[in-house]
Amino acid sequence: MRWRPLLFRLAVHGFGSAVLAALLLPILAVVPASLNYGSFISLPPETWSTRWYGRFFADREWLTSLVTSFQVAAIATVVSVVFGTAAALGLIRVGRRLRAALTGLILAPLIVPVIVTAVALYYTSRSWGLTGTVTGLAMAHVLMCLPFVVLNVGVSLGGLDPNWIRAAEGLGASPARVFMTVTLPTILPGLFGGAVFSLMTSFDEVVMSIFLAGIQAKTLPVKMWEVVRLEFTPILSVASTLLIGLTVVMFVLFRLAAARTAAGTETRP
Amino acid sequence: MLTAAASRRLVTGALLVPTVAFLAVAFVVPVGILLKLSLTEPAGPLSTYADILGSWVYTRVFRNTIVLGLMVTAIAVLLGYPTAYMLTRLKGFALTLAVYGVLFPLWISVLIRTFAWILLLEKHGPVNRMLVGTGILDAPAAFLFSNTGVLIGMVHVLLPYAILPIYANMLRIDSRLMLASDGLGASPWRTFRRVYLPLSMPGVGTGAVFVFLLSLGFFITPALLGGANNMTVAMLIENLVNDRLAWPLAAAASFLLLAAVLALLAVTARFVKLDTALEAR
Repeated sequence: MRWRPLLFRLAVHGFGSAVLAALLLPILAVVPASLNYGSFISLPPETWSTRWYGRFFADREWLTSLVTSFQVAAIATVVSVVFGTAAALGLIRVGRRLRAALTGLILAPLIVPVIVTAVALYYTSRSWGLTGTVTGLAMAHVLMCLPFVVLNVGVSLGGLDPNWIRAAEGLGASPARVFMTVTLPTILPGLFGGAVFSLMTSFDEVVMSIFLAGIQAKTLPVKMWEVVRLEFTPILSVASTLLIGLTVVMFVLFRLAAARTAAGTETRP
Repeated sequence: MLTAAASRRLVTGALLVPTVAFLAVAFVVPVGILLKLSLTEPAGPLSTYADILGSWVYTRVFRNTIVLGLMVTAIAVLLGYPTAYMLTRLKGFALTLAVYGVLFPLWISVLIRTFAWILLLEKHGPVNRMLVGTGILDAPAAFLFSNTGVLIGMVHVLLPYAILPIYANMLRIDSRLMLASDGLGASPWRTFRRVYLPLSMPGVGTGAVFVFLLSLGFFITPALLGGANNMTVAMLIENLVNDRLAWPLAAAASFLLLAAVLALLAVTARFVKLDTALEAR
């Protein structure tokens, strides 16, 4: 241990802790900012008040955007989970080269810069009549959510022993029954994790949404984007704080699912 | 009656077709149409690309984006390396807490993280008050709408992508090698430089490529924190589409950006493990 003396350890832990604090604390600045009384944000607030929360929930436009966000996220999540789970199950049934090619296709929307996909979708969806619709936005979000469902379900499929399936089949179970009683229980944590992640990815997505939302389908981040370019009002901090609250809940749910997945893959011999 | 092999193939197809068809219609076709748009100008198939690469204004945006990306990457790696090392020294609850501290910011919308920095970096915001209060600055600095603001915001958003691959790599380093180096009489600095640093370079490479790749397409953070001189390629594309309605030029700029990303991925494919960073979240 001589090569790692005390002073060095103190320096590393001090520096690392400072970096972690710098990652987390700035995000929390929006919470006190949302509790300002005045129309300008001062940090910390000169007078504390919850009146901007009242303003947020009394404002039709902000509420509509919140509802739109939930609609888009719900559709995007259901489509991603159904398609993604099926794809993950299909991928383990094909040869290595086809699997690599299909995985590449599924991951491609994460590699192509979002601005490029956004412009491409904006250009084509105008002629397809999908701009400014909840459906169009949800379909765009599926591109970003699907890869994570496939990855998450894929990881939990690693915990599925093929012998269990063979045993069930040998005992005369139909494919549907094998899926419901053997496959589904094993991949459920991965599926749940993928769903939670999809929901949050869709809820947070800004760039594609800015292009595709139009006037009819503004999500919460689109509304925030429009307002933040005009003025820095405490109502923006309220929207941010609400989104952070939702994110904390989703993050905890995801970690719980991830812990279940890890436990599942470890039990496999 | 279907044979067992045929019915198995049918099921495999039924599982994969929805996703493949969806990606074809919602991703491959739109990107293909945009590519075609960039190539079918009356002035000639590559005229849009020539317009962009031949214009001093446009090439400056590309150069700015690359320089900004390199600076963000350098800062993120310098901050991320010691932090990743600290993670390897932690155990139990402290480790869980620290790892979540790196992962959680990735879940927060880029828009919120950027907005938080607007609040902090404002002329009369907490950062300026602290710097003036402690006497580091004489007068509040204009962090917003400047290079500094964009750098701070982008490093904050991208730092976890540097820390995670470096950490994953450091975990695989056999600590007995350091003991051996130590036992053979090397100084701590020499052991670090000759043994630990080279062994951790693959992680640094993956993290750096990742941060740089993501920085190339950045839009929200530079658009909100930057000034007129901080235009990135993504902002240029948005500007060409929404303000100037110059679709073919926007398409050409998009594919130049995509080409840069793909070229970088191809060059670094040997040592970059994309999946490590994708699964990190």
